[in-house]
Amino acid sequence: MAESSTTLNARRAEALGARLPPLLVAAERVAATVAQGVHGRRRTGQGESFWQFRPFTAGDPVNRIDWRQSAKSDRAFVRETEWEAAQTVVLWRDGSASMRWRSRLAATEKQERAGLLLLALAALLLRGGERVALLGERTVSGRTGLDSLADKLARMPDDESGNPPAAFVPRHSRVVLISDFLAPLEQIQASVAHFAGTPTSLHLLQVLDPAEATLPYQGRVRFQGLEREADTIIPRVEAVRSAYVQALAAHQDGLAAIAAGAGCRFTVHHTDHPAEAALLGLYTSLANR
Amino acid sequence: MLETLVFTAPWALAGLAVLPVLWWLLRVTPPAPRTERFPAIRLLAGLVAQHETPARTPPWLLALRILAAGLVILALSGPVLDAGGSLPGQGPVLLVIDDGWAAAPDWPRRMQAAGSVLDRAQRTGRPAALLGTAPAPSGTPPTATPPMPAQELRARLAALAPRSWPSDRAAAAAALAAWKQPSAAIVYIADGLTDGSDFLTFAAALSEAGTVTELCCDRPPAKLLLPPRAEADQLVARLVQAPQSTAGEAAVLAQSGDGRTLARALIPLPAGAVSGEAAIALPPELRNQLTRMVLENAPSAGSVALLDERWRRRPVGLLAGDQAALRQGGGETPLTGPLFFLRRALAPYTELREGSLDQLLARNLSVLILADRPLTSGPERTALTRWVEQGGLLIRFAGPHSSGAGLTEIGPSDARASADPLLPEKLLDGERQLGGALSWSQPAGLAPFPATSPFAGLAVPEEVKINRQVLSEPSPGLAAHSWATLADGTPLVTEAARGAGRVVLFHVTANADWSNLPLSGLFVDMLRRLVQLSVGVADTADDMLLSPVQTLDGYGQLGPPPPAAAGLTGRELAKAIASPRHPPGLYGPENGRRALNLGAILPAPELAPAISGARVETIATAVPERPIGPWLLSVALLLLIADLIIGLLLRGVLTPGARGKIAASVLLLALATWPAHAQPIASDHPALATRLAAIVTGNDAADRLAQSGLTGLTAYVNRRTAASLAPPDAVTPGQDDLSFYPLLYWPITPDTQALDSAAVAALNDYMARGGIIVIDTNGGPDGSAGSGGGFAPGVEAALRRIGTGLSIPPLTALASDHVLARSFYLLSEFPGRFVGDTVWVQRDQDRANDSVSPVIIGANGWAAAWALDGTGRNPYATLPNGGPANGRQRLLAYRFGVNLVMYALTGNYKGDQVHVPQILQRLGQ
Repeated sequence: MAESSTTLNARRAEALGARLPPLLVAAERVAATVAQGVHGRRRTGQGESFWQFRPFTAGDPVNRIDWRQSAKSDRAFVRETEWEAAQTVVLWRDGSASMRWRSRLAATEKQERAGLLLLALAALLLRGGERVALLGERTVSGRTGLDSLADKLARMPDDESGNPPAAFVPRHSRVVLISDFLAPLEQIQASVAHFAGTPTSLHLLQVLDPAEATLPYQGRVRFQGLEREADTIIPRVEAVRSAYVQALAAHQDGLAAIAAGAGCRFTVHHTDHPAEAALLGLYTSLANR
Repeated sequence: MLETLVFTAPWALAGLAVLPVLWWLLRVTPPAPRTERFPAIRLLAGLVAQHETPARTPPWLLALRILAAGLVILALSGPVLDAGGSLPGQGPVLLVIDDGWAAAPDWPRRMQAAGSVLDRAQRTGRPAALLGTAPAPSGTPPTATPPMPAQELRARLAALAPRSWPSDRAAAAAALAAWKQPSAAIVYIADGLTDGSDFLTFAAALSEAGTVTELCCDRPPAKLLLPPRAEADQLVARLVQAPQSTAGEAAVLAQSGDGRTLARALIPLPAGAVSGEAAIALPPELRNQLTRMVLENAPSAGSVALLDERWRRRPVGLLAGDQAALRQGGGETPLTGPLFFLRRALAPYTELREGSLDQLLARNLSVLILADRPLTSGPERTALTRWVEQGGLLIRFAGPHSSGAGLTEIGPSDARASADPLLPEKLLDGERQLGGALSWSQPAGLAPFPATSPFAGLAVPEEVKINRQVLSEPSPGLAAHSWATLADGTPLVTEAARGAGRVVLFHVTANADWSNLPLSGLFVDMLRRLVQLSVGVADTADDMLLSPVQTLDGYGQLGPPPPAAAGLTGRELAKAIASPRHPPGLYGPENGRRALNLGAILPAPELAPAISGARVETIATAVPERPIGPWLLSVALLLLIADLIIGLLLRGVLTPGARGKIAASVLLLALATWPAHAQPIASDHPALATRLAAIVTGNDAADRLAQSGLTGLTAYVNRRTAASLAPPDAVTPGQDDLSFYPLLYWPITPDTQALDSAAVAALNDYMARGGIIVIDTNGGPDGSAGSGGGFAPGVEAALRRIGTGLSIPPLTALASDHVLARSFYLLSEFPGRFVGDTVWVQRDQDRANDSVSPVIIGANGWAAAWALDGTGRNPYATLPNGGPANGRQRLLAYRFGVNLVMYALTGNYKGDQVHVPQILQRLGQ
């Protein structure tokens, strides 16, 4: 059952990703972590596809002379191929209790939506030939990698902290963190600082329930937290609605500030919006760097 | 109103003291919050509302809740509106209710008053008992019930109804004496009348039984309508009552048998009057339709006077003069016979009888008219004298045979008149001749009728002239006994009472010999007035036992007699006192109904004296108590429901969608209590639709086949023609009414037995009145013509059996020029399942029934060809052209069926088709 549901999740994510062109992650710098990939780097290097002929210069290995080209003239030519490389993208989604919740306004829980977005992104990247890893797990690649990724995601234990683990991240990799980021800003700051310490590019996606965005309750309500917070009684919720919206905006501003300080991007997704929108945002964000 | 508000549980009012506590509790307790799980709770933690939210209950909601609580407490304390005073004494309460006829007009008020007394008894927990003062319909004398809880007595009280007979005061007094309870309270709901001579005994018994409260007398007691008095041209409605201090009037309605009111009269009742009268003048035709007179707006048995035959039937006997002379001289001669004009004048509106005197007197007669017939002493005169003295009206006409001497016995003149008691006055010998060739006098006209005469008001035509008359001997009382005189004062019509009856003498002949009076319309009017003067007769003997047919209930409505009602003879009926054994109503056989009226036999009502020592209340003050606790509880409940909804709204539980749902539920609830509309009742009575029918033979297979055949034919006819037939019926002649069916299909099988006489008669009647019977043997015996030969061996015997009683006309073979072959489709053969056998129809055209042949006999098995099974297929193959490819024979069978139906429905309407060639030929010329 669990096997089939993870497979199903993988298929759904793949279907979601299939609607976008293969994601091409532009490599910016050469790094040791870069492995053979399908992406031409617009420069000579190791690869399959032809890049250019250049005249033989001294020191070139003899076996690299392209005899067919050299036979057309008096000079010897060396055949150069385009350098192709793949990049590692590290993904993480929040598994805390606050993510396993939905209001009446949304059809899915935040965690489900976060997992879907994660797998869809992974599907896109794998199709593009990139290497994908869950935070703290081994990287996978190729089309078959998606299934094992979904399997790992399903088996990932719920952690109640709501913060990404301070795991090792390959250098020059991309890190995508999906969470509701409702934890205190200091904790988030600390987590982001860990990733900012390694040369990576970071992307934060905040997944929010519409009820969390608008506080659509009325009357006298006792609010209970999901992570053992103390209860809060609001006598008239409609009276504090605007104040809440302001507080949320301030929190998001703080998140954006943290992101800006760490050189990473921050976007927000609501679970009553289509998942494609968020995926497209991630796609553009990853592709543009 | 408020002073009559009492609390049955006043200690519950102490609960009102907790209301302030409730106020405080409700005020300090905010409404319970709703719980929501919410992840972003950290963001909520430090929020301060922009507006101060009311953590406390709003004051108006508080007031609502306090009001609801207060209402609940009030309801629990058992408030009762209109509570009457408490009853004296501590023991049981005895309700004594007059339920005789006089209590009926305001019976509901009396029941209400009795109910309120029970309310009071119930509230104080006292047992109650009930005593109706009139005998029960079963004839048992009044008896008091034993004391029982007031609640149980209510059923007994509800079963009490006013009787159509008076209260039995003596028996009620005895019942009171037998009912002895200590410290009892007696509540007497009185009708205000003594109802006989024993009232004082009754009053004493009441006082002895306990402390008496009398509920009485805010309205005049009931009036008693007497049977009307018949006068010459009118009925006089009479009523008697206990004298009243104020003047009033009473309306009397004269009603016919179907309940129509034909006349209304007001009886003025001056102050202190004990009786009143009003005349109701109606034409005799209408008057004869009257069956009852009722007092308006006072439903009781005493307000109804039933009119039986005595008020209507006035048989008139006609006896001619000298029978022998009549035979010779032509008694039946038109225009000259002595009875001719009498007959013409009376026949339109009276029942005339003729015959010998013995024959006439053998039956009851109202009026006997002797035209120019002398009466000699002897058995005839003795019988006549006896009849007159018993109430008969004898009208005599003078004439040549009986003028002067002839009217009386031949003998010494001083002894003559005294010897004939059946002449109003002594007559002078001979007659007076007015006018004529040898006379100077002129024929005399009539003087206007005196006011005391029954003819008063009739216009006297000038052309009426008297030529001859007989003369009475002048006497002082002659003028008073003259109902009509000539212009010179000579009596023309004289009268005299004889016992209960009356003798009237016309001093002229009943024909035009002596005067032209019989030629005038005045003669008719005078005779009618005289006949109306007579006493009606009920055509029953006095010792015949008359059984009750319809009796009046307490409200004066006719109904079936109560179980204890017994018959009585006519003589007893005249003197019977109304009682459960003889309730007022109609008695006797259909042709001789006798009415037993309450008014005819009861003594005049008298006001009952007050009961000594009794507290008197009016009935109107004793209205039933109204406990309002349940109403208060309902209001409190509604308030609490409103509070619940308001609370939900305040807590924000109710979203707009939920509000819509609540409104929808309330609306649905209201709609659910809306009374459903009655559905029209579907009826399959054969009169409501045209339908075919098959005669039940008793042979199941044949009956089923006939039914399915007719079903198939009905479907075909409905599909192909404008005729719309309902599903067919199965009928049994002699039991079912055949007249609704245009066509009967009769399958004959070899085992069909002869019909019984009732069935034969029904079928003959059906055929004689235009019905059509299709007799089908479904195949013939061996060797018969057509393809059906051999399918029904022995069927000729069956045909002969059933045909013995039936009036089957001479038959001929059905040819293609018969209307039956033209009525819808043009057919030249008439196949069914089989083909080729001859079909027989009536040979002669019978114009009486549209030339429709009453019987059609064949052996082609039409029903089998028409039959459809459940899936709409034809279960019987046609022979010899069977198989699906040969549908032609079945098609022709259906077409023949359509022709049959059309023939039955339209008769010879299509007969013209037969004559079309001839018509065209004539047009061509």
